[in-house]
Amino acid sequence: MKKIIAMLLVGTMGITTLTGCGSTAAKEKEVTEGATDEIKEEAQSPAEEKAEEATDEATDVTIKVAAIETAYGVDMWTKVCEAFTAKTGIKVELTTDKSLEDVIGAQMKAGDYPDVVHLATGRPAALTETLIKENGLEDITDVLSMTVPGEEKNVSDKIAGGFTESSLTNPYNDGRTYMAPMFYSPCGLFYNSALFEEKGWSVPVTWDEMWELGEKAKAENIALFAYPTAGYFDAFFYALLYEAGGSEFFAKATNYEEGIWDSPEAVQVFDIIEKLSAYTEKSVPSNANNDNYLKNQQLILDNKALFMPNGTWVIGEMKDAPRADGFSWGFTALPAIADGKDAYSYTWFEQMWIPAAAENKDAAKQFVAYMYSDEAAGIFAAAGAVQPITGFADQLEGDNKLFYSIYDNGAKAALGSFAATDPVEGVNFADTVFGTVNSLVSGDKTKQEWIDSIKKDSDLLRAALK
Amino acid sequence: MKKKSGKHVLIYCLLIILAILIIVPVGWVFMASLKQNHEFYETPWKLPSGFYVQNFIDAWGSAHMGQYMLNSVIVTAVAIVLLLMLALPASYCLSRFQFKMKKVIQILFMAGLFINVNYIVVPIFLMFVDGEKWLKSMGLEPLFLNNIFILALVYASTALPFTIYLLSGYFVTIPKTYEEAAYIDGSSYFRTMVEVIFPMARPSIITVILFNFLSFWNEYIIAITLLTDPDGSKTLPVGLMNLMKAQNASAQYGRMYAGLVLVMLPTLVLYILVQKKLTQGMMLGGLKG
Amino acid sequence: MKKSSKSIFLFLCIAPSFLLFLVFMIIPTFNIFRMSLYKWGGYSPDKTFVGLDNFIKLSKDMKFFQSFENTIFLIVAVSLVTFTMALVFAAILTRENLIGQNFFRVVFYIPNILSIVIISAIFSAILDSKNGLLNSILNIFRDKNAEPIYWLGDQKIVIYSIAMAMIWQAVGYYMVMYMASMASVPESVYESASLEGAGKIHQFFHLTIPLIWTNIRTTLTFFIISNINLSFTIVKAMTGGGPDGSTEVFLSYMYKQAYTNSSYGYGMAIGVVVFLFSFALSGIVSLVTKREPIEL
Repeated sequence: MKKIIAMLLVGTMGITTLTGCGSTAAKEKEVTEGATDEIKEEAQSPAEEKAEEATDEATDVTIKVAAIETAYGVDMWTKVCEAFTAKTGIKVELTTDKSLEDVIGAQMKAGDYPDVVHLATGRPAALTETLIKENGLEDITDVLSMTVPGEEKNVSDKIAGGFTESSLTNPYNDGRTYMAPMFYSPCGLFYNSALFEEKGWSVPVTWDEMWELGEKAKAENIALFAYPTAGYFDAFFYALLYEAGGSEFFAKATNYEEGIWDSPEAVQVFDIIEKLSAYTEKSVPSNANNDNYLKNQQLILDNKALFMPNGTWVIGEMKDAPRADGFSWGFTALPAIADGKDAYSYTWFEQMWIPAAAENKDAAKQFVAYMYSDEAAGIFAAAGAVQPITGFADQLEGDNKLFYSIYDNGAKAALGSFAATDPVEGVNFADTVFGTVNSLVSGDKTKQEWIDSIKKDSDLLRAALK
Repeated sequence: MKKKSGKHVLIYCLLIILAILIIVPVGWVFMASLKQNHEFYETPWKLPSGFYVQNFIDAWGSAHMGQYMLNSVIVTAVAIVLLLMLALPASYCLSRFQFKMKKVIQILFMAGLFINVNYIVVPIFLMFVDGEKWLKSMGLEPLFLNNIFILALVYASTALPFTIYLLSGYFVTIPKTYEEAAYIDGSSYFRTMVEVIFPMARPSIITVILFNFLSFWNEYIIAITLLTDPDGSKTLPVGLMNLMKAQNASAQYGRMYAGLVLVMLPTLVLYILVQKKLTQGMMLGGLKG
Repeated sequence: MKKSSKSIFLFLCIAPSFLLFLVFMIIPTFNIFRMSLYKWGGYSPDKTFVGLDNFIKLSKDMKFFQSFENTIFLIVAVSLVTFTMALVFAAILTRENLIGQNFFRVVFYIPNILSIVIISAIFSAILDSKNGLLNSILNIFRDKNAEPIYWLGDQKIVIYSIAMAMIWQAVGYYMVMYMASMASVPESVYESASLEGAGKIHQFFHLTIPLIWTNIRTTLTFFIISNINLSFTIVKAMTGGGPDGSTEVFLSYMYKQAYTNSSYGYGMAIGVVVFLFSFALSGIVSLVTKREPIEL
């Protein structure tokens, strides 16, 4: 049964690529023509009367919205801001930049805070994490019970289940929400489905099958695995924690529970990553940095490696790259630990938050609530960004529908991340857990050294838990 | 005789190898700037398939490198003029007069050589932030951040220790008799300095200008910190960093290398024009310590 | 009268420079020392005074020691190689009568005028394990099927790759500097040495080096200061401290702690250590290399 699903996914991914390329090409063009790295626009309110109808909110408020520019482009942000102004009368001053941290980080130090920020955790500059550690985020739990502007429903009715329950939105584990979930994307392993057809290989559903495939590929001089940078192991590692011990184990591990890294589940996770690192293309660590990671992704396109962990954006990222004849993107969840166990795909999503020092918090909250309106979600979806709204994935067209159906097809969703702590000097847990994979691949560190440093840092972080 | 020419061949080989090690990579950047985006996924040493000048048009126009270049020219020029106005009199006095506190000031400037700009840039930034808050409380317009003239002032100030060190090294070598003659003619301290001593220091001044031109032109850490407004002015290296930002968005390699060439070209041209003077200036003192 | 006009003149000449130096260098440095005693994340208004806590933590931070080790290796290795190459090439270009002397001098200086961004782009292409220039050349001599050398991926090699880029950048600068001081040695000194039968190599060690010794001492201090700085900018652009922290140096680790690990005070403590370290090292080098200047 699972194999059939996998085959189905392979087939659908083929279609995904064709249409996906077209839409990303258009998107890219907008970025280049817009060319400025940042667009600041004072959206004007075209329909003042309509605005007054919609809400009785003061119309003379201007909020400052700062959003990271990613592969989705900036156009959707401009449109959403305009639509928001038309709906509520609240004016929006939009700032977008590819490295938003550099722009707003400096302004925030200077005491000039945006009212709404769209910037995910897990980025190298870690600005969002810094504000979590510094208690610099506004509690937005009340947004969940607000009515979506222009609609009848409450925000909490619209956000899909589970999205506001992990530490990615409730960083302090106290049931309060500080970050709103945005644009989600299933993460998993990407591969060239044409190569699998040509060789007559099937996509492995368990890790044991994965290792068998690794040997077969080795005989053909193809590596089993490659990764863009070690940072991409976050989604991979989290999904693997779920596979090994379910959500309860995941919660314990991400809260640094004492002795958790010695548990049999953790041992399984470490063993799989160690084994996988032995099957990894040897040149990967050389290019596993922000300047050269495209070379690692190229390995999949050139049929030099079979799988890489990644997200949907990779298709747009590699659209200009040359590729093997007949190449077509395939996508699968992680293989299961054993036959009959659950396979997981990590649900990566971005976050939107309001700085505690923002000036127009009420208007800012309206803006956050508006993100879950059908109107806003539609604008985002047109650019390829999918909002975590209940039932929304069913309305998606063509490529995205198929892509997001991975969870309907058997894979379970993994959500969450390591819990926030007070800053601990000299400890960067992402580097300790994920960064060390580079050393496992090159053989500079052993599995035991890796585990020991994880345990040591885990102890320090437990003491600093919020 | 035979032995000597054999040795010469060896020396030439060494020199030529080193020259190739420098020329080939630099030439490669020029070559890469003419490639189309898809060519970057092939062997990097392959010649470009054609002259894809669009890279330069994109970099100059839509990536604003033209405007950034003007900013860089202004910042560099203002900083150098300021630096010379400040450092010349100071190093002259510090090296040729005896007075109280001289030793202390000299030692402080020497210690300044050890202060790394890369780590004082944030304290400087925080200082400006406080300055802006103060101006705001006085009801005045912001002045310090996003101001290329303030950036030039910071460049000039942080270059003072090295420049004073360099110029003092030259000034101490000038015989006292020049000034004594001028004073006898009734020339003031100021006139003597400007009309007698400074012209003699021309080669050193040229060295100072060239060194500082290079460091100001290529500097980006201070610039990126002090020019915070995304719509405001940027200098060329900061613009280049923007071109290189490729997080989750497809990279524009051609444009980036065209940007690299735009940053590199002025320094290359200037260097080749004044390279003779540079060596001359170094020979006349200063760096001899 | 004369006395006071001199004071005014001195004051007007020195005060502006000194004031700016005070505001933009001394005070920020003082602030680094001050902030190293606080725990502060960088954004919130609450700064907690923690005394020497940051320094105590630093003394137990293995990653800091790795960056320490890398920095010292780069200072020593890069300085030694750059110094030797610069000195030898300077001697060749000043002492030998060669065609194209000027050309070589101009070319060798070029890397020094390039932006670090350009240098790192160049070296990423040269050191690429698959189709980089260096491996392509080495493959002529090696077995075609041998494992390529991972210049930027192998943690035992990557620090040498960084050193290579740094040397490439610096040789020309110091060479021109040494050439300048060698040219000021009068030709007659060499002539009389030649008459006494001293060979070129003997002259190099017993005449050239002692005669430009003060210059060499000065450049040694430059080596220390500039290598701390340069290793940071090159590492930042080429490897980002990776793979797995193996090329982390002083300042890159400081930046990481201060800005991405929300430990501004801790980062500043690293800054203090770097400052004191470079100061002390220069002092030691200066003491050890002290010689009586040779009078001609």
